[in-house]
Amino acid sequence: MLIWFLPVFLTLLLIGLPVFFGLLAAPGLLIWWDALIRGDITYMRDIALLYRNVYNGMDSTPLMAIPFFMLAGEMMNRGGITLRLVEFAQALMGHFRGGLAHVNVFSSMLFAGMSGSAVADTSALGSMLIPAMEKQGYPRRFAAAITAASSVIGPIIPPSGIMIIYAYVMEVSVKDLFAAGLIPGIMVGIGLMVITKVMADRYDFPVASERASWADRGQASLKAFFPLLTPVIILGCILWGITTPTEASALAAAYALFISLFVLRTMTWRDVPEVLKRAALASAVVLLLVGAAMAFKTVVSLSRAPENMADFVLSLSSNPLMLLFLINLLLFVVGMFLDAGPAIIILGPILGPIFVNMGIDPVHFAMIMSVNLTVGLATPPMGLVLFVASSVSGERVETISKAILPFLAVEIVVIFLITYVPALSLTVPRLLGYAG
Amino acid sequence: MSVLKMLFGALVSVNSILLALGRSIAWVLIGLMMVTILYQVVMRYAFNAAPNWTEEFARFMMLWMTGLIAASGYRWGGFVSIETAVRSLPRLPALVLSLFLLMLAQTVLVVGAHIGWNEVTGFAGTFRTATLKTFFFPSIEDGWQFGWGKMPRSHMMASLLVGLWLLILVNVELTLKTVIQLFDPHATFPRDPAMISAGAE
Repeated sequence: MLIWFLPVFLTLLLIGLPVFFGLLAAPGLLIWWDALIRGDITYMRDIALLYRNVYNGMDSTPLMAIPFFMLAGEMMNRGGITLRLVEFAQALMGHFRGGLAHVNVFSSMLFAGMSGSAVADTSALGSMLIPAMEKQGYPRRFAAAITAASSVIGPIIPPSGIMIIYAYVMEVSVKDLFAAGLIPGIMVGIGLMVITKVMADRYDFPVASERASWADRGQASLKAFFPLLTPVIILGCILWGITTPTEASALAAAYALFISLFVLRTMTWRDVPEVLKRAALASAVVLLLVGAAMAFKTVVSLSRAPENMADFVLSLSSNPLMLLFLINLLLFVVGMFLDAGPAIIILGPILGPIFVNMGIDPVHFAMIMSVNLTVGLATPPMGLVLFVASSVSGERVETISKAILPFLAVEIVVIFLITYVPALSLTVPRLLGYAG
Repeated sequence: MSVLKMLFGALVSVNSILLALGRSIAWVLIGLMMVTILYQVVMRYAFNAAPNWTEEFARFMMLWMTGLIAASGYRWGGFVSIETAVRSLPRLPALVLSLFLLMLAQTVLVVGAHIGWNEVTGFAGTFRTATLKTFFFPSIEDGWQFGWGKMPRSHMMASLLVGLWLLILVNVELTLKTVIQLFDPHATFPRDPAMISAGAE
């Protein structure tokens, strides 16, 4: 009976049941139905097990990193730290043709080192850079598209909320995933800059400002010094084993609060409750989902879904390279309709074991999945950041969806590079002691 | 219909008060979580005396934070779903489908709350936490003893139960709203002034 639970779950999801309820309703319904057929009256014991898994799934120390990183991101937004990052990026890149577009991408890369959220990136940088780009003569759709496309770097360059979820659900080290995300994140950034350069030359985009003098660059660097220390603190503490990721995330949140209140003085104590509330709200929704995912994961393994899926996948081809291509297609399509976090929660326990058993390194597979599904945040029709970019810019989602296509093409190329060149994901973790 | 609208209005008011209270406690809890983990780091590195209770206490606060604020996220549309089917249908079938989905969600929540109550008040809840302490008031179960003792796990487990109760209230509100829309196409509903968008990605 349990083999039906995946089709039932997918049907519930497709007709619009929120993922949290779907993760519990599908296995619950089938346990009940199965018991009804067998005349077994003890089915509530099995359903109670689902409940216990939700609770135990949430009662976890590593998961505390999620609220803390969200808090750090909220503090950055509210504390005017974003503005300093943009000024810093502009001092370095503003004189290029298409300068503000480059500034947009580079700021996303800097922002990514502090917040693991593409939505926070789009809303923070978009509200600042889209009007500025429009004022300089860029088409609004282009400005919104480059903001949305570059925001996906947020969850790829560490810290990353999505990778914390993946690490927890799939029992992989957060430290290794963070280390693995560095090169892919930088590659997406460089790829976007290259296509921006091509488009800037072709469409004669304006330069943002005169080439900054070394004194101006020094001043901008000084103003951005404290915000730029945040990724150093986070990554330094985690990658060199000084603190756990949870402790590093709490340090990052506290540091962002401290510099916003006392160094930059861009936030007052009055702003603090609102910031905490926003972070608590966003985290609670994710934590509940992760709890439900742990219950779901138990039923996935009981249902032998990974084995059945593996048989099906292997019947398509026995060539791992071909299978990786197919899996990328599947993830890309899923990413079009579902956000990265829930998609990882649903597909991770099913796909992860198949590919790891085929000899793909777990960290490498985590990167393929995370980067692909993260790019899905910017793919039409349901890409979350497209909607955020639309609300920030006032441009229609359909228009941004067309304008973003060249950037998506670059991101797809990067996905395939990451897929077929494992060293891109594994070199940094191995340098830091990963034995895989 | 007017009775339904009155019922809906009353529930909206009750939910608004309860959820606002939950949010007010939740932001204090996330702040305290941060302070607790910082205290742990400082004590370990500065004084070489890592406290043993900090992680469990921070988890206690995270669970309660989640339980108290998640329902606000649900009320404001923060629970991720694929809305293509509902959006692509004409008004009436879309509302009927929404109603079906809300009923399904209600079933999950009610069954969850029923199990949660049994867990909190049953055997599982009687186990003690490893490090957290609480004050026990005199009671028959404890032989009229009182004083500080290890906290029962039920105090932590109740967070999910309270979260489910709040979600049930919000789900009933959303169901009533859909029923009103079903029978009154011109019904308007004011936007919740406290609304914050819940971005998870």
